[in-house]
Amino acid sequence: MKRRLSLPTRRVDLQRRIPFFYKKRTCYGVKGDTIATALYASGVRIFGRSLKYHRPRGLYSMDGECSNTMMTVDGVPNVRTETTLLREDMVIEEQNVLFSARNDLLGFMDRLDRFMPAGFYYESLHKPAILWPMAAKMVRKAAGLGHIDPGFRFSGICDEIYPAADVCVIGGGPAGMSAALAAAASGMRVILLEARPWLGGSFDYRLYAAGETMPLYEQAGELSSRVASNGGIRVFTRTAMVGGYNDNLVTAVTEGTPEDPFDYRYVEIRTKSVIVATGARERPLLFENNERPGVMQPDCALRLARTYGILPGRDAVFSVGHDFGLEAALDLSDLGVSVRAVADVRKDGHDPALLEEIHRRNIAFFPGWAAALAEGNKKVNSVRLSQIGTGRSRAFSCDLLAAAAGHTPACEPLALFCGRLAYNETTGYFLPGKYPPGVFAAGRVLGLEAPTSIRASGEWAGHEAAAFCGADCHAAAKDARKALDGLPGPHAGSNWIAHPGPGRKRFVCFDEDVTEKNVRQALARGFDVPELIKRFTAAGTGPGQGGISGHNLPLLVSALTKKNAAVPTTVRPPLRPVLLSAYAGNGREMTKKTPVHEAQAKQGAVFRRVGSWHRARYFSADLDVTEEVANVRSNVGILDASTLGCFRIFGPDALSALQRVYAGDMSAIRDGRIKYAAMCNHDGCVIDDGVVIRTGTNDYRFTTSTGRAGETGEWIRYHTRFEKWDFHLVNLTDGTGVINLAGPRARDVLEKITDADISNEAFSFGSWRAFRLAGGIPVTCMRLGFVGELSFELNIPASFMQAAWDMLLEAGRDMALRPFGVEAQNVLRLEKGHVILGQESEQRTNLLDLNLGFLWSRNKDIKPVGADALGQAESDPNRLTLTGIRMADTHAVPPDGSVIVNNAADRRVIGYIGTIRKSAAVGAVVGMALVEGPYTREGTRLAIYDGHSNMNVFQHATVVRMPFYDPEGERMRI
Amino acid sequence: MSLLIQCPICGRRNGYEFRYGGEDKGPYPDGPSISPAQWYDYVHANTCRAGVVREWWCHRQGCGLWFTLFRDTGTNVQVSAPEGEQ
Repeated sequence: MKRRLSLPTRRVDLQRRIPFFYKKRTCYGVKGDTIATALYASGVRIFGRSLKYHRPRGLYSMDGECSNTMMTVDGVPNVRTETTLLREDMVIEEQNVLFSARNDLLGFMDRLDRFMPAGFYYESLHKPAILWPMAAKMVRKAAGLGHIDPGFRFSGICDEIYPAADVCVIGGGPAGMSAALAAAASGMRVILLEARPWLGGSFDYRLYAAGETMPLYEQAGELSSRVASNGGIRVFTRTAMVGGYNDNLVTAVTEGTPEDPFDYRYVEIRTKSVIVATGARERPLLFENNERPGVMQPDCALRLARTYGILPGRDAVFSVGHDFGLEAALDLSDLGVSVRAVADVRKDGHDPALLEEIHRRNIAFFPGWAAALAEGNKKVNSVRLSQIGTGRSRAFSCDLLAAAAGHTPACEPLALFCGRLAYNETTGYFLPGKYPPGVFAAGRVLGLEAPTSIRASGEWAGHEAAAFCGADCHAAAKDARKALDGLPGPHAGSNWIAHPGPGRKRFVCFDEDVTEKNVRQALARGFDVPELIKRFTAAGTGPGQGGISGHNLPLLVSALTKKNAAVPTTVRPPLRPVLLSAYAGNGREMTKKTPVHEAQAKQGAVFRRVGSWHRARYFSADLDVTEEVANVRSNVGILDASTLGCFRIFGPDALSALQRVYAGDMSAIRDGRIKYAAMCNHDGCVIDDGVVIRTGTNDYRFTTSTGRAGETGEWIRYHTRFEKWDFHLVNLTDGTGVINLAGPRARDVLEKITDADISNEAFSFGSWRAFRLAGGIPVTCMRLGFVGELSFELNIPASFMQAAWDMLLEAGRDMALRPFGVEAQNVLRLEKGHVILGQESEQRTNLLDLNLGFLWSRNKDIKPVGADALGQAESDPNRLTLTGIRMADTHAVPPDGSVIVNNAADRRVIGYIGTIRKSAAVGAVVGMALVEGPYTREGTRLAIYDGHSNMNVFQHATVVRMPFYDPEGERMRI
Repeated sequence: MSLLIQCPICGRRNGYEFRYGGEDKGPYPDGPSISPAQWYDYVHANTCRAGVVREWWCHRQGCGLWFTLFRDTGTNVQVSAPEGEQ
């Protein structure tokens, strides 16, 4: 199709052709085209088929108000082609068709509508139940839009930014630009959001305006160059607002162009004031076959011509209800479209200047008439216009029917900020009753039509917003208000709905194939408000998010129920479909690495995420870590435990704070000795364990588990918030590296690199010493026994970690010292019956359940957090209690978390497994489980359901005494 | 978490930086005299009022302070202290 070359409003570069593939043939668009306009210019009229009835659908609007033109692009389904910029070599396919959109073999569905009334999915397909899986499969095949491949992964790049502003203007039309300029004039930092690729709004493609000396598109150009040169205004084009929240937080998504380093960018704006200037769109006209390809909104037809240089049709009929519709008919007539007739639902009230132009061009004009029926099998070939009230009608053949009942405000952003909107009798618009502080509206969204009023309302809103932000511009705001009041106010809108009739093929919502008849069916079932009808019929729940049905549904319901007030349905973010990837943003890896991460990676470590860290889990491909475990048991291993939380607490009241959060008596810590301690919550449930040492007067160090380090500071301050205690808490976790040197030969290794006396006599189990390694590396060393062997836990400043790690490996080289990972540690500590919170415990597990009652001090004067609850739980014999189990089978290892039942016949759940592993040291599969009290006696037989096999197959285990390995604990005391 | 919160030390900051700490129910009730039911009520029972509620918040990504503020749970914005309270 040839495009118009000489239009001053054109936004495409006809010299730069862009090839793309449509149905396996190469087509061409031009730079600036959207996918939809490029297809339209290539002669495509039927873009796809509808969700339910497989009706042919074509280009109807231009801003993604409905799913008509959604297509599969480069394998991505449901791409909104109206707003997506054409890129080179895109592969574009039709959706929801069997064969092709033009000849869809499922097209017969359209005639089956009487078998598919509103709600038929819920009402018919579930009986008999046995048919449901088959019915669901068939429905899924026949209905729906794009097909998603389960293996699909979004391969684009997503970004995120968080700009701040004084004033955020939503909508870059004349009102928005005027508002931005006015606010910036008072020194405000302004952000201007525009969903289209350029500023200008409705002015961008319009010429006519009564009493205006300058064409509207030139006014738009003049405003946008002033905006561009204003340093106080940051403009985001191709950026649609998607959310508005309390305290004026605005979210938006930018669609990238080939020149941008991203495909989508999430923009979250903190702003003091918001101006909504989103303008108006056209309210769809309801008539039979109102969505037949060839029917489009006048605004869409005009933009195809003015912006993209494409004549939308040869012979056109217009059925409108607003002056803009008349203006579009005139302009398209001048551009070469043969306008056969113009019907207007309004009997009077038209702009006389426009009427005069229509008569001057000898265009047949029908005031008080509206389209009743569009005919044509796949595309419109004629239209029947009817006089409202009398039913007199006339038919016109045409290939384009530009139809709209009038304007409707793009008020969704206002609804997000202001809550429920109310019907305004003058404009026929839904508008807010009151605005929250700092929120303003301007332009066509308020029903203003006169260009001077639109601009003046923007200026007023800009000054008001600046004044709200504290600028000294109250006088300017007052003057702007006065100027605005002297100009034409909101226009009277049309509230026309449809000719009488059942409305069997009058589509209220295109996305979900909801007709006027379906709305009547919903009403007949007693769903009498739009909100319920929306749910029952699904009208407005599709990708257009009410862009088509939003205004008509409440009007229609109000008319059919004879209730006066039309009530709009609730608006929720996101206002446009947004890829979850866009919300996820750039997805940066936020985990921390320990100081010896790289060193371990070189040694073959496989890392896993633990809390906010990456930890080495294995050092070989053997997931049973047999060798790593054996090396610690019989020789010596080295573990990086830097992820453990490490804190210093000091000050006069440090001890009081520790007494409050730890269950035990912290005043009993002896010099040089380590105290194992646990923290409980108010329910007595264990939230953390670790060790505490006293390093000086009112000066303590303590450790926490890997996952708790972040919260411990908050926890201690929370539980001391009512006291004015004087203490300081320092989180040393990231500044402290920890190495656990464990195994019978651990001392032989450590001796080689320190002069300190680390003999068992000088440095016994359960104590700590501070000394230096060779070269002066300061360490705090603790003799702990988590893995059940002689071990030295070295706390080292993070900057010395690498040196100490290398030194130890070097010292242990001739003894075959090897690193071991978290999984080996897991097996080793399991054999010793040592718990890991979160593995052996869950939310409801208290200190007593874990057999750690000895950590609880009953000293009434201390009264730590959780003491009351522990006292109450003590007398309950049925609680789930930590229990050692040994599997009857020496090979089968059920997964962690497997359910335990009392016996295979009864199958009452009595607990579950925390951790279970094959233990070489014990020669059996052993584990720790939480089991109801009565079942914890040694020798009790338990049945375990492993979740994988048949429900009737259970494995068996016996309750045994813990620890499984070295019960006297001699090996850690050598 | 779109709300803005006035931290007594750091000033008005993004709600993301804070951690919610529950309704303000005053200091822990005193030990020996209280019954398990009273303790349960203190720990778990909340008023869940739609309206202005005094709550604990922690500036976890800032100064770490725990402080109380008044929030309108209907609109989810921080509000100034109602008359008679501070």
